Amino acid sequence: MSVTATRMLARDWRGGELGVLMMALILAVGVVSGISAFTTRLQAALELESHRFLAADTVVRSGREMPAQWLQQAQASGLRVATTLTFPSMVYAQGDAMQLASIKAVSDAYPLRGDLKFSEQPFGDAVTITNGPRRGTVWLDSRLFPLLDVTLGDAVQVGEAQLKVTGAVRGEPDQAAGMFGYGPRLLMHYEDIAATEVIQPGSRVEFRQLYAGDVGDMTDFTQWLEPQLAPGQRLMTVSDGQPGISNALDRAERFLLLAGSLGVVLAGVAIALAARRFSERHNDYVAVMKSLGATSGAINQLYGKSLLLLGAVATVCGCLLGWGIQALFFTLFADQLPVEPGPSGPRPYLIGSATALTCLLSFAWPPLRRLGQASPLRVLRKDVAVFTRGTSGDYLFGLVAVSLLMLWYSGDWRLTLALLAGLAVTVTLGMGLAMTLLKGGRLVGMSAGSIWRLALAGLQRRGAANALQVVIFAMAIMLLLVLVLVRTSLVDEWQTQLPEDAPNHFMINIGPGDVQAVDQRLREEGISSEALYPMIRGRIMAVQGVDLPTRDQADMDGPRQREVNFTWSETLPEGNELVAGDWWQPGTDAAMVSVELEFAQRMGIEVGDRLSMLVGAQPLDVTVSSLRSLDWQSMRPNFFMVFPPEVLASYPATFMTSFHLDPDNKVFLNDFIREFPTVTVIEMDLVIEQIRSIIQQVSGAIELVLVVILATGALVLIAGVQASVDERLHESSILRALGARKQLILGGLLIEFAALGLFAGLLATIAAEISVAILQVTAMDMQYSPTPWLWPLGIGAGVVLIAGLGVFSCRRVVSHPPVAVLREL
Amino acid sequence: MAGSELEILKGISLEIKSGESVAIVGASGSGKSTLLGLLAGLDETSAGRIIINDTDLGQLDEDGRALFRGREVGFVFQSFQLLPALTALENVMLPLELKGEANAREQARHYLERVELGERMDHYPRQMSGGEQQRVAIARAFAARPRILFADEPTGNLDTRTGGHIIDLLFEINNQEGTTLVLVTHDMTLAQRCQRRLVLEAGELVEGN
Repeated sequence: MSVTATRMLARDWRGGELGVLMMALILAVGVVSGISAFTTRLQAALELESHRFLAADTVVRSGREMPAQWLQQAQASGLRVATTLTFPSMVYAQGDAMQLASIKAVSDAYPLRGDLKFSEQPFGDAVTITNGPRRGTVWLDSRLFPLLDVTLGDAVQVGEAQLKVTGAVRGEPDQAAGMFGYGPRLLMHYEDIAATEVIQPGSRVEFRQLYAGDVGDMTDFTQWLEPQLAPGQRLMTVSDGQPGISNALDRAERFLLLAGSLGVVLAGVAIALAARRFSERHNDYVAVMKSLGATSGAINQLYGKSLLLLGAVATVCGCLLGWGIQALFFTLFADQLPVEPGPSGPRPYLIGSATALTCLLSFAWPPLRRLGQASPLRVLRKDVAVFTRGTSGDYLFGLVAVSLLMLWYSGDWRLTLALLAGLAVTVTLGMGLAMTLLKGGRLVGMSAGSIWRLALAGLQRRGAANALQVVIFAMAIMLLLVLVLVRTSLVDEWQTQLPEDAPNHFMINIGPGDVQAVDQRLREEGISSEALYPMIRGRIMAVQGVDLPTRDQADMDGPRQREVNFTWSETLPEGNELVAGDWWQPGTDAAMVSVELEFAQRMGIEVGDRLSMLVGAQPLDVTVSSLRSLDWQSMRPNFFMVFPPEVLASYPATFMTSFHLDPDNKVFLNDFIREFPTVTVIEMDLVIEQIRSIIQQVSGAIELVLVVILATGALVLIAGVQASVDERLHESSILRALGARKQLILGGLLIEFAALGLFAGLLATIAAEISVAILQVTAMDMQYSPTPWLWPLGIGAGVVLIAGLGVFSCRRVVSHPPVAVLREL
Repeated sequence: MAGSELEILKGISLEIKSGESVAIVGASGSGKSTLLGLLAGLDETSAGRIIINDTDLGQLDEDGRALFRGREVGFVFQSFQLLPALTALENVMLPLELKGEANAREQARHYLERVELGERMDHYPRQMSGGEQQRVAIARAFAARPRILFADEPTGNLDTRTGGHIIDLLFEINNQEGTTLVLVTHDMTLAQRCQRRLVLEAGELVEGN
């Protein structure tokens, strides 16, 4: 048969039948490929960025020197390598000046990823530099210059070695990892270590081997390396480098995938609705073609080809749209991106194309396939039934296809199940509720005025069709509400986690005699700080009387003897939550301790356990009275072990706090350190700034994705309204022909659609609350809290959108003569 | 022809010769259109047989009947049944294309010129009057050179004058092509122009057989 699919499509396009179907397909492909390309490129970029936090792709750290053979093996595998060694030590200068510094010795190749920041003069303009100091020289933290009273060219002494000061170190890619390396930094060459003679067995040091290279080489190497790791040696990858960022990105990625999955479902529904209307409108065409001799096979072939052609065109347009979406994301956020976005490769566009094919097969093809069965008798008699209603097989097929798409797309079965559960609840409850509500509506309507009677009679007459429509509207609104809710709580949580004035500096080693003076000095400067917490270093030796293995015998993360910071407090510290046991009565002197939950789990500690500890040389036995959970990313002083004040009163303590310091006020630190030379300030502001900028750009991306998904949702609403427009137009035209006024008809339609919108909005809101609760708790790892503002929003959006779209779609009935409208149908 | 509960056509037996023109007349609801649908192979009988040119329609499934219609039958409908998305020319080409004929365009042009629409080939149905649309439908019906033409109230949607022109045209081309014509109408004047008239009342043939 030579009626080509192309010509038929072109004719249908001219006839305006294909608009919604085409748009839905393009949006589905665009959303899927765009989000996929965006996350792929962002991941590539941020992975590289996270590698900077490690200064390498992979790192092994250990308290003892590691075999040089590992480095040789890595080099043989095609990787680049470097070594670092970090330890606290006193640094001496001429005169009597001395200062506890955090020494870091680095090999020539350091850093393998990221940049070192260097300035020739302390506090001078920082430049990026590729290698650390040469042998025999050191770079000092700017603050060390005044503290040691040295200038460029002077010598400082580390252990037995005399080293020449040649510059100031202003930033290291992996400095966040060394946040508890006390004191300002001194950067030296790795090969000068031997000459210092400070590294003795048992010294508190951290060796690191750094590796970087191709993913394949790295995988081979780490597979070789892992079995060789002894207890106390730990392999670190990206997520270890900066848990704050990796956590935020994980959630953002899940959100984007969630949005993408919802986009697919919404587009699928829009496609199904549009295809159904398309096939309803084509029933008469098919009847004519059949009367002229077309077989059902020929009809199927014709529509199948048309669909494939439509799919191909929509796929190309959709991929272009997807490319545009991700390009727009990156254009908007280029300034904030710390690195160039990586390549996306063809995969996102392949996923988009597969989505188009799946959507077409599972949503558009079933109603079109049934066109082949249309009766040719319709050319004589309009009352012959049309075969467009879906069978349960079609719905099942669509459901399975959508589930698989969502699963494939998100790679997260919990997320898929949560959404499917939400949709199932909407559909089953929705149909029942919608029928009941519509029935109730008629009883009210019987005694109302004429517009109301018209509208409510309309609702009732199309009861089943309306119920289906309410469910479809509710699904679309529910999915959009879910997305808005998750986005809002995600962004809110990030903002509460890192508010503008979040503490960005820690201050430790504050002597008991300095506590008041430090507090007063901060207050004079107008700096608000957290409370000052005492800090006592202690060692956990045994649990329930059983000695823990020592550091060398045990896994770094498992139960072992370890030194931790103790503090005391009468009350539960701010931001902590009691998860087991009870908090003590103020003033108690009972030997109790409250332990942080994750630490307790790692150490195998439970409420009621007896812990044996050493503080200095003195033993301390306590019972675990409670477990606490807390947010380690809060930048507040956080402690594994909190005791009642009386229990620790007799031990020597130093104090710590955290505070927020504006970048403009940074110079205050110099004065402060000169005034309190024993106090150590840990600067976290750069790291926090980096985290915040990444979170900001990801939030921005999320907003954009939301807009695209909202557009898809709107399309579903339009397709849903259009599905019932013909019948309503027909009835209204007849009423109009009988002399009904414009106000009566428009008013009736408005009330009818508004009622549908009201039911849909109500259903959607209920289902959205349920879905979000499931999602937040299971998939997003967040706390659920009910959202009162959702109710007016959901219901209001339902009424306004559906009433607006409905009346808009039916406006022809009052603007055109009734005969013209009837003839078009 | 009996449904399980309702008999629409009863005891009908008739023969139509090749080249003959036959009018089926009767009041609304007498079963005219049902009979036409069955004769043309648009519908299935529940009992009885219809044989056209040695083909027993009851032995064919829907696809078989479709092929039969494409090969043997042409239609002119009361409501024209032109596809709104196609131009006049494309509408006339449609049955030729369905039959897989190579020079569909030329043939369609030829028939459109015969119904005096040579100037309006690229117009869409909505841009044409009812009479013009029915002329396109006549061109479409004859273009496929059917052996039997079924016309269902061909003037039903037209005023008397236009209807008269259409009927003149229909009979003129029918005579030239030698096509068998089966025409359903309630218009006795129109029926008079046919060689034979069958009158249906409540599903039964009461006259003319």
